[in-house]
Amino acid sequence: MKQYTTFFLLVTIATGSIAQQKIDYDKKLRELGIELVTPAKPVANYVKVVRTGNLLYLAGNGPLRADGSYITGKVGVDLSLEKGYEAARQTGISILSTLKEELGDLNKVKRIVKVLGMVNCPDTFADHPKVINGFSDLMVAVFGEKGNHARSALGVNALPFHTAVEIEVIVEVE
Amino acid sequence: MKKITALLLFVLVATFSIAQQKIDYDKKLKEIGVELIAPSKPVANYVKAVRVGNLLYLSGHGPDRGDGTNITGKVGLNLSVAQGYEAARQTGVSILSTIKGELGDLNKVKRVVKVLGMVNCTDTFADQPKVINGFSDLMVAVFGEKGKHARSAVGMNSLPGNIAVEIEIILEVE
Repeated sequence: MKQYTTFFLLVTIATGSIAQQKIDYDKKLRELGIELVTPAKPVANYVKVVRTGNLLYLAGNGPLRADGSYITGKVGVDLSLEKGYEAARQTGISILSTLKEELGDLNKVKRIVKVLGMVNCPDTFADHPKVINGFSDLMVAVFGEKGNHARSALGVNALPFHTAVEIEVIVEVE
Repeated sequence: MKKITALLLFVLVATFSIAQQKIDYDKKLKEIGVELIAPSKPVANYVKAVRVGNLLYLSGHGPDRGDGTNITGKVGLNLSVAQGYEAARQTGVSILSTIKGELGDLNKVKRVVKVLGMVNCTDTFADQPKVINGFSDLMVAVFGEKGKHARSAVGMNSLPGNIAVEIEIILEVE
């Protein structure tokens, strides 16, 4: 009898902790004010995502808006730091949308592993981290500890279609 | 008897399908007009490729002609998009040469996973994808579907030795 009780207790705890790990991401994204976008189709001989083992390698994403347009301009010339932060956040939304499309369920994300954040900016700009924080803050808001990543944030002198930010990520998945 | 026939048929089909997967890359490269080069040696304390598990990480490569010179210049200033495309293709030739040197046989390439394509360009240039297509098109011409990769194509305000293009890649290998 004691053995059965222990067994049932174990099952209850196990079930509870599994249920606890499942997050209602649709609800969470709504709460954060995030509207997923339709990821842009690759325009040439490449793909949005390649999976190898349990790692997803994503192509570079830009700040794609829901209407299909991009946030463009150079941070420090045409765009303020705050606008740059917003562009990085919007790039995060594009990446979340790609992940959702690829995995079906954001619960399959185990860890945001590595991020390369590139800011379109003049030679004298030096606040790249403050711009790419727009992306990093969003990942942690959505995924919690699993959203914390290793990161490089740097400047480039030009990006495709004059987008303000381009970000590529590596994600560990179930 | 029936079982033995079935077994023989199975072995035959299996052998045939394995044989079919082996590609004569020397012939294929000749058909595409690709002449491999002797990969240049690293100029400091680093190596051309590092393997970890079944992933091969390659150092940044430039448009090495194989005669000790590189295609140099800035796209949008002294190089056209078409010349940039050629530089990206030549960088692909250099990368194929390194892979051949590293693996012995290009048949060991399972997938081109991730590509970071950097274009030496003016601040106002925005057609980086059209330049890096020179690399991507070559990978798909050589490897077919296995050559399709996740990609970022971005601008740089300067590159080592004023090369026109630099590309680093991650491969999944046997």
